Amino acid sequence: MDGPAIEARRLRKVFTTSVRRPGFVGALRSLVAPERADTVAVEEVSFSVARGELLALLGPNGAGKSTTIKMLAGVLVPSDGEARVAGQVPHLDRKVNARRIGAVFGQRTQLWWDLPAVESFTMLRDIFKIEQEAYRTRLEELDGLLELASFWQRRPRQMSLGQRVRCDLAAALLHDPPIIFLDEPTIGMDAVAKEQVREFIRYQVEQRSRTVILTTHDMAEVARLARRVLLVNEGRVVYDGGLAELQKEYGSGWKVRVTFATGEVPPGIPGPGEKVGDAHVFAGVDPTAKRELMRSLLDRDDVTDLETHGDDLEDIMAAVYRKRAAVTA
Amino acid sequence: MSELAQGWRIARRSVLYETHHPGRLAGVVTQLSTQVFLTWCLWTALYATVSFNAGMDRGQAVTYAVLATLYGRLRGPDRGLARDTVRQHVRTGSIVYWYLRPVDPQRYHWVRAVGDQLYGLAWAAAAYTVCRLIGLVEGPASKTAAGLFLLTLVLGQMVLYYLLALVDVACFWTLNNFGVGAMINLTQNLFAGAIAPLWFFPGWFQTLSSWLPFQSSLHVPLSLYVGRIPPADAGHYVLVQVIWIVLLALVLRRFWRRADRQVVVQGG
Ligand SMILES: Nc1ncnc2c1ncn2[C@@H]1O[C@H](COP(=O)(O)OP(=O)(O)OP(=O)(O)O)[C@@H](O)[C@H]1O
Ligand SMILES: [Mg+2]
Repeated sequence: MDGPAIEARRLRKVFTTSVRRPGFVGALRSLVAPERADTVAVEEVSFSVARGELLALLGPNGAGKSTTIKMLAGVLVPSDGEARVAGQVPHLDRKVNARRIGAVFGQRTQLWWDLPAVESFTMLRDIFKIEQEAYRTRLEELDGLLELASFWQRRPRQMSLGQRVRCDLAAALLHDPPIIFLDEPTIGMDAVAKEQVREFIRYQVEQRSRTVILTTHDMAEVARLARRVLLVNEGRVVYDGGLAELQKEYGSGWKVRVTFATGEVPPGIPGPGEKVGDAHVFAGVDPTAKRELMRSLLDRDDVTDLETHGDDLEDIMAAVYRKRAAVTA
Repeated sequence: MSELAQGWRIARRSVLYETHHPGRLAGVVTQLSTQVFLTWCLWTALYATVSFNAGMDRGQAVTYAVLATLYGRLRGPDRGLARDTVRQHVRTGSIVYWYLRPVDPQRYHWVRAVGDQLYGLAWAAAAYTVCRLIGLVEGPASKTAAGLFLLTLVLGQMVLYYLLALVDVACFWTLNNFGVGAMINLTQNLFAGAIAPLWFFPGWFQTLSSWLPFQSSLHVPLSLYVGRIPPADAGHYVLVQVIWIVLLALVLRRFWRRADRQVVVQGG
């Protein structure tokens, strides 16, 4: 089949919640005549992902990333608009959809909490009706990538977070889905575990040609894995394009970090700078200002340390959110 | 793999919840034998002064009461300990995965419950055998009574499943009603006859109970077993059970449909 692996067309999701009034009388009144309130989690989101592509879905807390993923996975029914996964509307036939997708929601596990992880794997084998031979080969491959064998006899309740999420990644891929949704898979992991998971994701995209949508707040991860990013804020897409272009468009600023022997900015230096620890940080967008600053700094004896760099990804994201917020305000 | 084979493979996992935890197994054995023993003592003592009460003689009453203590076991392993109840899944949001598998949540729930209840029945059967061997309970009133007991037990288990399933699915909407679960549990135990044989309750209570589905699961089969309900009256009770099964099944299906359409996954 041709066409994109994933398509979102003007997706929208409104949650209706009942508001609880304070106090006992309030609780009673809520019971009799509940007051409803609408929360717009996703305002309008459109994008598409090609087969074998990795898309990083980024945005601040509450932007609507998880809600979007749940709609694409066919769990939530959109309030408006349409999701398509491999050309089909996912929530209409969840059973068929389930065979096409795998998903990991970082904070919650699909493993049976009280059973050894291998029992969860065999349970999924039966649920997905995977042939024993295929099951063994896949588990072997996953074990090779994620090094699970040393702890998969343990129950999730006795695993470290990193171990548990690695088992969850394996569980999501046992049925060999061409499309994977990963919602903050590396949340709370240490550097080594994160690295392993990143390598795993990269392998799935590059070697196994799987389509991946990944959300994360870790910009180092984005820089390592993604070529294309989709930025959402307040339920709307604010940027859809290459990561390099984003950096070019929003990241034209500079930063210079200086440590003065006196600890104070001596007279004759343009700008007051911002004190960060022992150092002062000067920032701006105008390149001539930077040249001027550098010239005046390089001549001095009381400069003990000097560092200069462009904006990092965190700053760029913050800049985009601010700028877009100003536009919509 | 056929649907049936798949169902069986999923259902049999219920055993693992306790066999993987020897401590829990020991706990269950201790608790069950203590309960059985205390109940036997209590009811034997109650009948020390009278020989006939509420239409039952000593043997009938003791047998009913002792077998009723096995009621809790009929539901199988404690899923709460294993963090595998619908309430817990809805609360933590891991219910999301039920909708990402090629088995309907409704079917999955049913298959797991069958596993649980078969496992529970195996326990109950073992406990029953031990009780018979050491003479704590009498045998069934007659061959017919035994057959009707088995029939109403199976039907009663189905009624019980639907009741429990309704409470489970209701969690999709009533997450915050902490007390409801506990209250329903108590009501269930009370009206099923698990706390004391229903024959000892006042008339109005028994009338009320006859209009509720709870007595189907335990009171009816046990009363047939001890002969307190004569086999000739069994038809009426079986009919009531069947009506409850059909009614509850229809309601449950509606509940699941609504849940599937409106499922909201907690937390982002
Ligand atoms: N079940 C729900 N009921 C009501 N409101 C909800 C529900 N789930 C999410 N929301 C609201 O929808 C908005 C988007 O939530 P969502 O979980 O999609 O954000 P997110 O981008 O994943 O954030 P994070 O980075 O914190 O994970 C939030 O304002 C949230 O409060
Ligand atoms: Mg989220």
